[in-house]
Amino acid sequence: MLNYIWVGLIIIGIISAGGTDIYREVNDTYKNGSIIVGMFTQNSNLRGESKGEVEFQKENINLHYNGNLTQQSFNQPIAITIQKDGSRKFVIDVNDNSPQLWKEMSKGSSATGKLSGVISNMLLTEKENVYQINLAIEKINYLKLKAVTNAAFDYAGTAVTLALGLIGVMALWLGIMKIADEAGFLKIVTKLVSPITRRLFPDVPPDHPAVAAMVMNISANMLGLNNAATPMGLKAMEELNKLNTKVGTATNAMCTFLVINTAGLTLIPATVLAIRSAMGSSNPGIIIAPSIFGAGCATVAGLVAVKILQRMKRFSIEK
Amino acid sequence: MIEQFKNIVNIISALAIPLMVLLFVVYGVYKKVKVYEKFIEGSKEGFDVAIKIIPYLVGMLVAIGIFRASGAMDVLVAILQPITNLIGMPPETLPLALLRPLSGSGSLGLMSELMNTHGVDSFIGVLASTMYGSSETTFYVLAVYFGSVNISKTRHAVPAGLIADLFGMLGALLIVRLLYI
Repeated sequence: MLNYIWVGLIIIGIISAGGTDIYREVNDTYKNGSIIVGMFTQNSNLRGESKGEVEFQKENINLHYNGNLTQQSFNQPIAITIQKDGSRKFVIDVNDNSPQLWKEMSKGSSATGKLSGVISNMLLTEKENVYQINLAIEKINYLKLKAVTNAAFDYAGTAVTLALGLIGVMALWLGIMKIADEAGFLKIVTKLVSPITRRLFPDVPPDHPAVAAMVMNISANMLGLNNAATPMGLKAMEELNKLNTKVGTATNAMCTFLVINTAGLTLIPATVLAIRSAMGSSNPGIIIAPSIFGAGCATVAGLVAVKILQRMKRFSIEK
Repeated sequence: MIEQFKNIVNIISALAIPLMVLLFVVYGVYKKVKVYEKFIEGSKEGFDVAIKIIPYLVGMLVAIGIFRASGAMDVLVAILQPITNLIGMPPETLPLALLRPLSGSGSLGLMSELMNTHGVDSFIGVLASTMYGSSETTFYVLAVYFGSVNISKTRHAVPAGLIADLFGMLGALLIVRLLYI
């Protein structure tokens, strides 16, 4: 199943990126090479580089891109430099004021976050330091495919950062757990919870060290102690794997344990609460009980599903 | 009621780790375990486990990254929207429900965005935060946990995890609708 989902994500991703790019190329969504008119107010002029703001009217932009901007006009910071051959180059900093399309275009332009191009005409108006300029924005194409390429490399880096970030907490908790294990503490925990764990994990001997690690992982998750939960969970997987008779294949106990984990039952969803209070909610805690209910539904449904699915032939261990 | 519950859980969360470390170490000394040596012995595994996870995590995150960057999510939303409209789920929250099992940071960003545009205490704002709190990043958990023991044949873990996610989202929708109507 994971195979299909993995392949599905990649194929759907690349095909829809390519499809969108071809569609946009054919429809000339980015209007490559055509000219937009704006009003340039010059604030400074140093050694052939003048800086200022350029104002675009809604009508111009909407007509140009067949768009539907609502704001009357918008301003963009711009820098204009005179080249050796006398032509003028411009660079616009794309910011929050920019139309959505420009924000997208700036992600695939020659300098990320900026749109550059050539000024074909520059006329002084009656007002001092105000010019009417004709801008031709650089050629933009294959935005989605470029985004896909960048994402692939970025996420590969992120994965390594995430994994390396685990080293510290892993080392700490595996060390602490080793002490608890040697002292026989884990056996005490195991005995206490055996009435529940015996039903959930019938394949695991009730006094196996995996049980203690799983219980500690689930408790840590419930308290929202993620840093402690992951190392304990991985310790549990290691212990469960010792009972595994088929290398590289998940056991029933592992799947049950992971479903409890992915359902994510937490008594206090700390991250959400922090964001809600930061955004000025009048009652950040209102979501605590609903979240417990939601995650409770997930846990129950997941456990029922796991117990039914494990009997199905297509998920049998031999396959 | 909720305030009290929140306080109690917060106190337990704050005390849990220091107390646990204290308990383990003291109990270890009492049982005459060479605590420092054993700590180092266990600790050594930490590095190996983290390194073992890397290929699984790279494979999973790259696929998710490609999918997200391609804009295919918009297509999926358009296909599923008629169904979710039937059960009274606001279309704005559908991308969040779809992204939740794939990406933790991505869905956190979407949630904040929804609360920003619709208001923290609005129906959509509360629903978005409840949806986020009702599930975990399933594919990340699967990649890390199975990766740590070199398991690539995951059997029924993925469908069961996704069923759990589906019911988590439906549960969140049901309870928030009851609260608001």
